[in-house]
Amino acid sequence: MNRHKNGGIRRWAAVFLAGTMLLLPAACAGRNENQNLLPSKEVDGRVVNFFSPMEKIDPDAENVARTASDLTVAMAEERLGVTVAYSTYTAENYRDKTYDDVALDRARSNMDDLYLLNPDTILTLGAEGKLRDLSGLDSAKNLREIIKTANTVDGKLVAIPQEVVAYGLFVNADMFRQYGLELPETPEEFLECCRVFKENGIETPVGANRWWLETFVFAQAYADLYNGGNTEAEIAALNSGEARYSDYMRPGFEFLQKLMDRGYIDAEKAAVSEAIEAEGPDFLAQKTPIVMAYWGAANSETAYGKPDFDMQVIGFPSSRGQMPVMPMTGFAVGADAEHAEDAMRVLDVITSDEALQLYSQTNRVISPSKNVSVDCVPALRPLNGRIEEGIYVLGSNAGMNVEQWGNTCQIVRQLLGGATVDECMAAFDRLQDAALGLS
Amino acid sequence: MKETADKRERRRGVSLLLSIVLIFCIFGTIVYMVAQKTSQEMASAAIQSLSESLDLIQCTIEAILNSEAEFQALIAQETARAEDPEDFILSASSNRTIVKLSLIPAGRTQSISNNGEVFTAEGLDFSAGGTVRGMPVSRSYLNYMGTWSYTIKCPVERDGQELGTLYIEYVYDSIDRALPSDGFYNKQASLYIMDAESQRFVLKPKGMGQRNAGHLNLDDFYRANNIQDPGIRAEVEQCLGEGRNLLFYHDIRSVNALNYMWSVNGGTVFLVGYVPVEAIQQEGRTVNQNIAIVVAVMLAAFFLCVILYYFNWRQQEKLRREREQERRLHSRQLSEALRAAQVASESKTTFLSNMSHDIRTPMNAVLGFTTLLSRDAEDPAKVREYTNKITASGQHLLSLINDILDVSKIESGKVVLTYEEFTLNDVVSSVDAIIQPMARAKGQEFHVEVTGLRHEYLVGDETRLNQILINLLSNAVKYTPAGGHICLRIIGLKQRSNQYEHIRIEVEDDGYGMTPEYLKTIFDAFTRAENSTTNKVQGTGLGMAITKSIVELMGGTIDVTSEVDKGSLFRVELELRIQEGQADRRFWEAHGISRILAVDEDAQSRETVRTLMEDTGVQVDAAARVEQALEPVRGGAFQLVLLGWSGPGSDSLRAVEALREALPGGTPILLLAEHDAQGLEKVRESGPIEMLTKPFFVSALREKVVRLWADADMADSAKAAYAGSLEGLRFLAAEDNEINAEILAELLELEGASCEIVENGRLAVERFQRSEQGEFDAVLMDVQMPVMNGHDAARAIRALPREDAGRIPIIAMTANAFAEDEKAALDAGMDAHVPKPLDVELLKKVVRQCVEGKEKR
Repeated sequence: MNRHKNGGIRRWAAVFLAGTMLLLPAACAGRNENQNLLPSKEVDGRVVNFFSPMEKIDPDAENVARTASDLTVAMAEERLGVTVAYSTYTAENYRDKTYDDVALDRARSNMDDLYLLNPDTILTLGAEGKLRDLSGLDSAKNLREIIKTANTVDGKLVAIPQEVVAYGLFVNADMFRQYGLELPETPEEFLECCRVFKENGIETPVGANRWWLETFVFAQAYADLYNGGNTEAEIAALNSGEARYSDYMRPGFEFLQKLMDRGYIDAEKAAVSEAIEAEGPDFLAQKTPIVMAYWGAANSETAYGKPDFDMQVIGFPSSRGQMPVMPMTGFAVGADAEHAEDAMRVLDVITSDEALQLYSQTNRVISPSKNVSVDCVPALRPLNGRIEEGIYVLGSNAGMNVEQWGNTCQIVRQLLGGATVDECMAAFDRLQDAALGLS
Repeated sequence: MKETADKRERRRGVSLLLSIVLIFCIFGTIVYMVAQKTSQEMASAAIQSLSESLDLIQCTIEAILNSEAEFQALIAQETARAEDPEDFILSASSNRTIVKLSLIPAGRTQSISNNGEVFTAEGLDFSAGGTVRGMPVSRSYLNYMGTWSYTIKCPVERDGQELGTLYIEYVYDSIDRALPSDGFYNKQASLYIMDAESQRFVLKPKGMGQRNAGHLNLDDFYRANNIQDPGIRAEVEQCLGEGRNLLFYHDIRSVNALNYMWSVNGGTVFLVGYVPVEAIQQEGRTVNQNIAIVVAVMLAAFFLCVILYYFNWRQQEKLRREREQERRLHSRQLSEALRAAQVASESKTTFLSNMSHDIRTPMNAVLGFTTLLSRDAEDPAKVREYTNKITASGQHLLSLINDILDVSKIESGKVVLTYEEFTLNDVVSSVDAIIQPMARAKGQEFHVEVTGLRHEYLVGDETRLNQILINLLSNAVKYTPAGGHICLRIIGLKQRSNQYEHIRIEVEDDGYGMTPEYLKTIFDAFTRAENSTTNKVQGTGLGMAITKSIVELMGGTIDVTSEVDKGSLFRVELELRIQEGQADRRFWEAHGISRILAVDEDAQSRETVRTLMEDTGVQVDAAARVEQALEPVRGGAFQLVLLGWSGPGSDSLRAVEALREALPGGTPILLLAEHDAQGLEKVRESGPIEMLTKPFFVSALREKVVRLWADADMADSAKAAYAGSLEGLRFLAAEDNEINAEILAELLELEGASCEIVENGRLAVERFQRSEQGEFDAVLMDVQMPVMNGHDAARAIRALPREDAGRIPIIAMTANAFAEDEKAALDAGMDAHVPKPLDVELLKKVVRQCVEGKEKR
């Protein structure tokens, strides 16, 4: 027995020594001095330049949406062997060129291959013929009809999104409960809530920025148009000039006017505020009970992903109850882009069902592909419920001859800047007339 | 003393431990110092390395700016030379570096750029005062292409007269193209180009963008990288103002990094970014890792050595302990052996003294009475008395010698059991025949009981079984005073296997009993109960040892319980193989017996009959009283009636009469009675009746049936043979010892037989060869003889070409009295074996059997 044990130790010692003997020459092996010492480098010139917004970030914060998007881009890079080089921009302040302005400039100057564009920019560039038709892509076949409709300009599908962006009201349900308030369904109820908050010492019940107040307008303007069962005819009437955009827009503008007049919105501050940057801290600090934001903000730590209170995301008040507003952002490829073909391939991968599944799972958003569905976070359930019911308004529609998202935003800014509702309506009329070729 | 040694040992252990700790401390300090030094050197090397890289980039950018400025000076000269400077500008085309050329003639505020757009200098901010080669550089801005750009202006002069100002817009993208596409430090470094005036980041690393956020401006950079230290920020501000370079350590996302602000072109542009220290110190990390590996390997080797030493020590310790244990075991075994030897020696001494006493006592009697015999030879009465006493003493001496020989044989393992078929009936009868007279002589009552037995035809060593029973019973007789009771019980226990009969033999007496101390040694050889009472009894003290050895040899057990003055009970349990086919149904069928009646008041007796007859195929009807079975008896249902005798005062007599009356003629009644049953005379007087001794055995019944059914003539001749002696027989005896020969001749003569003695085997063979056929009735053959021994002689006789050579009875007569001697004799062709000293009764019995058997053949 003992001898056996001794034998075992001896055997191990022998193996150890033999291993050492083998390793010694390997460790002492010299390097060959007569060769090119540079490691051979693979030359891969295929680059796709991708222009996208830059987000100002906090240290160590995790942006789920960005992570999700990056995962799909990494998938494309791996599949296609290309490098996606990001160019980013964001405005430093309201005096700076907006992202949309820069996107327009860059697309018109063919600076990049792939663009992430807001709805108005999509329509503008689409109309100028600066974007490629994407309807031939495999991924385009999986898109929901509403996405195709909203992004088709002159019969060309010019953009494909990775998520359906839905805007809603982010409310602090704890504060509503605190003051015995129900979540508002109609504009009147909303005003009543604001009154109660204001009376209870909340100076500005609604946190706003210079971008997203237009969502209130869309909800009230198009609640009936999109949910009344006569959508196509009403749009046709607008396009032909029989109906006036200003008539649709007026109630929303008047509503905004009331909010401003009654001090429920700080118009001056809003006019120079960037999205989330200005109103976000107050909302998270529970000083402001209501803000407006897009779906993904509820998932992202950089926005409202981790509130300390019961946050609910509901639709905007309208005659038909809470109304989600859905503009269509999307990826587009420059018509004369230097690497247009590679950009198309990248887009095909990042909007494929597989990539969208990954994106939606990571980000928990509504997917544009009819084949992908994912559970949303609890806060988004009220909003999601309405969308599932098919009740929402579009913030942009390529079928309308007046671009909605960008123009409305601009006109709301005019309102914030002191223009009257009538002046704002006149602006809409001018736009419509221009579209009809009357001026 | 021992305590002091322990303390010293402990102190030595502590100082050894302290020494090891000290060595480790010194070792650790050295390693730490080396690591520190390496780390410091690496840090300064890292700073050096990063500075060089940044210098390189700085020079590259400055070279580009200078080239652009030189180019612009050239264009300005060309424009001045042109006839129409504005036309010249408009005709210039843009490229990837110069995206817009504009000339504002002196005295005007706007003009047309080469791209056809209206150009004014209003949007351009030259207030910061930055220059390249003396030409003012504007603050960076986003141009019409949506990309960051800057404009350099210079005057267009002809002959000292200023024609206007030339504005050329350059994009940062051209600088970007000049920078290494892979970044530096293996893409781990981040590099931004910041416009010093606006603090906007105008060039960002490609491929970062969304993935690593990118930064908008210096504030964003601070926030994103959590640079909140006011000291650092103030220092940065100062550097920006002075156009100085700055390097500082700051963790970026928990990674130690070198952050930099590197002035380019006198501070109009800054390189901003950070490099993880690890990325710069890749080789340093490797060095550190290697140091760590070396230290770890050394420590591992050290601990391995310690472990090996420990295992070795433990093994040595184990071996030492094992040896110690072995030594202790040996010494214990030696002392035990010594004690055993002493005990053995003592008991042998005791034995020898006992033997001396026991042998001398009968020998004294023999010699004494021989002396008396020679003196009183004339007085026949005294002669008879003396010879009787001499015989008794001789018998005792013989049994003593037999026992001693038996013990020595058993102890040397030479005893072999001889397995033969036998019936318990024979065993019980022979034991009964021996013990009954002994008991009667001592005025004791001896009973035999058999219960629960299923089979009586068994296989085993009958002789040894007899020996067991006789040893136990003769002991009981010896140690029971007159008037005592001795009982032999044979009890059939539950069978463990259907091939073996499991029996318990109980020998119980109400004699002197034994002390608990003696009970412990009763089965040891050479021990004997020593007290005043038992000293009256003669014995070798070997009987119990022999009995136990035989029982164990048979695979059985023996135990004893005893109480002084109350008696003893010996219990032997044995398993004996059942004979195959012993039932022999054909025997009963052949004798026409299919149903018998057993009448006995004792239920156990009835049960015994029924159990034992189970395999015979004979139906047994049992009844406690004869009246219960009279009806079928009259009907002639039974071929045989067994009637238990319960004494003269009982109903047995009437029962016999009732049966005689009821039974059809010729149906025999067998009276089952104890050996010494009283009142049987009356039954015999009342008419013929057959007896069967209790306990009941099938074999005994069979013999009885054979006798009853047999031919009358046969019965008569058998009777004669049983009753007869050796009268008229003539023997040929081979015996080399003269005295023995004489004794033999005398004894046979006394029995009325004649004998011719020859001196060895050869002579016996020759004499037999010469003899007439039928001249001798049997040959008595000694075994150990000169010339030719008994075995060879028997073989030779059997081989003779005579008709009677094969059947003449040859009886071995030898002092070789063991079972194997008997077997050897039978193997040699002899018919029987009679041990010496010669027992005339035994000889008669054997001769009778042989002669009778041969005659039957």
